[in-house]
Amino acid sequence: MKIAVMSCIHGNYEALNAVLSDIDAQKADKIFCLGDLVGYGPYPNQVVEMIRSLDIPTCQGCWDEDIVEGLNSCECSYPSVLAEKRGRVAHEWTNQEIHPETRSFLATLPMVVQEDNLCFVHGSPHSQHEYLLPDIHAFTALERVLSTGADVMFCGHTHVPYVRALSEGTFQVRISQPNADPDQTGRFEAPLKRLINAGSVGEPRHGRTDATYVLYDSETQDVALREVPYDYQKTCQAIIEKGLPPIFAWRLAQGMEYAERAEDPTHVCER
Amino acid sequence: MEYWAILSGIEGNLTAYEAVLADIKRQRHPVSSLYLLGDVVGPHPESEALVQRIQKQRRGELEPQICLGWWEEQCLILYGLGRISEPTSLIEKYGMPMVKTLWDSVSRQTVEWMRSLEFGIYELDCLLVHGSSVGVEDTLTPETPVQILLDRLLRFGANNLFCGRSGLAFQYEIKESAIASTIQTLNHAAQTQSVTITARQIVGVGNVGRTAGEATYTLYDPGTNRVQFQTVRYGHFKGFRLPNRSKTIAAKQRARPPRLEMNQKKNE
Repeated sequence: MKIAVMSCIHGNYEALNAVLSDIDAQKADKIFCLGDLVGYGPYPNQVVEMIRSLDIPTCQGCWDEDIVEGLNSCECSYPSVLAEKRGRVAHEWTNQEIHPETRSFLATLPMVVQEDNLCFVHGSPHSQHEYLLPDIHAFTALERVLSTGADVMFCGHTHVPYVRALSEGTFQVRISQPNADPDQTGRFEAPLKRLINAGSVGEPRHGRTDATYVLYDSETQDVALREVPYDYQKTCQAIIEKGLPPIFAWRLAQGMEYAERAEDPTHVCER
Repeated sequence: MEYWAILSGIEGNLTAYEAVLADIKRQRHPVSSLYLLGDVVGPHPESEALVQRIQKQRRGELEPQICLGWWEEQCLILYGLGRISEPTSLIEKYGMPMVKTLWDSVSRQTVEWMRSLEFGIYELDCLLVHGSSVGVEDTLTPETPVQILLDRLLRFGANNLFCGRSGLAFQYEIKESAIASTIQTLNHAAQTQSVTITARQIVGVGNVGRTAGEATYTLYDPGTNRVQFQTVRYGHFKGFRLPNRSKTIAAKQRARPPRLEMNQKKNE
C-alpha cells in the first residue's frame, strides 16, 4: 500500500491543495496527517474543513493543542523573546478567526495515530512540542521509535523532511544489586527502525518555497520525499491582508531554513 | 580517595537519617560531599524536625546538597506553589486522606524552603536527581529498558545518573553500545554513520526512610567511579551490617543470561 504523509499545513490552503493534487497524481492509497493544521497561515478553517471532508486520519499538533487548551507552552519553545511575541500574535489571531466547529474538531485529534507497524506523531511520542531534528542523537531517535512499538515512526514539527534508518543497534549492559548475586550481564540488539519526517506543507523550512510531504510504500518500504511547487505569493498576500505579522509572509517566501525552536530541542515543556 | 554520600527517600524518618549520618562518620575513607536526592519529607510526624535537622548541621558535619523529590513536589502543589494546581498524582497513589496527612506533616515555612530546592544537581559528569532527567515522578529500575535509561542520560549529557525514586539500590552499567544511522534529506543523499557511546551508568541510590529499621544509601568515588552500597540497620535491628559488595565499572564481568525484560531482541 502506498501512503502519503503530510504535516504542518498551518492554514496554508493553497499549499494544501497543491499537495493533495500531487498525492492524487502519485496514486497514493491513503493519506495521514501529522497535525498543525492551524497557526501562522491565513486559512485555518478552510484547511480543517478540507481535512475533515477527506476523512484523513490526523494527530494533534502543538498549534492545534494550543488552540484547544490555550497557549501554555513555556518560553523554551522559542529561540528569542521576539519569536515568542510573534508566535503569540499568530496564536491570538488564529484563536479569534477559527469557528467553534473547527476548535471542536481539533480537540478530538489524538496525540498518536497507529496503523499496523506504522506510527504517526506530530513532534515525538512524548510531546507535540519536541523537535526530532535530523541530527538528534541516534540513540535518542531510537528510543522515540521504540517507545511506540512501531517499526516506522512518522513525525513532523521541524518543517524539514528527512528519512533516518537506525540499524545494528547493540547494547552491552551489566547490572549489580546488593541482594542479587552474581551480576547480570547482557547484550541486546535493536531491530531496524525508521524515523521519517514529513516536512511541512504550509510553512516549509528546508531552504526552498515548495511544500513538502512524503510517500511511503509499505510493501517495498521505499520512501520518497516530495517537493511540490505552489503559488506561495498568493498565501503571502493573504497573510498581509488578514493582518498576520508580515514576517510570516517573508519567511514563507524564503523557505526559511532557520526553524524557530528552543536551544534544547528535546526539552519537554512541563507547563 | 574521597567519597560522596548519596541518599534519597528519608521521608521524614529522622531516626533513619541519624543512623546513616553515624554510618557516614564511621567510614574509613573521608566523605567530602553529602547529597540528598529528594523525598526528604514524607507523610511522617518527624518531617518538620528532619528539615530543621538538615538545615542546621552539627560541628564537623557536611552541609547537604538537596534536590526536589516527589513528596516535596506534592507539598508545593498542595500549597498552590507547584507546576499544577491539583494534587492528582498524590490522590491517585494514596487516596484523599493522604492530602490531609501530608498537609499536617509540613508547615508553610518548610514549603517555602522547598521552593528553593533545585530539580537536580550536576557535578562533574554526574547528574543527581530524584526521578530522572524527565521529572521527579519518573521511576528508573534495573527492569527499565536500556534505551530509556540511555535516553535519560543523554538528555543532560551525563555519564553517571544517580536517582532515588525507585528506592532500590542498583548499578546499571551501559557499556559499549553502537548503532548505524543513515540520514537522507532533500539536499543530501543517504549518508551512514556509526555512532558509539562510551560507558555510562545509572545508579539507584537506595532509600533511607521507607523501611523501618533498615536504611540503604550509596557511597561514590568520582575519581575511580567506584560505587558502594551501604545498608544500615538501626533501632530494634541495630548493629550495622557490612556493605554487601563493592562495585566498580572495571570489575570483572561474569557471564550469565540477563533477566531483563526489553522491547528488543535478546542476543543471548
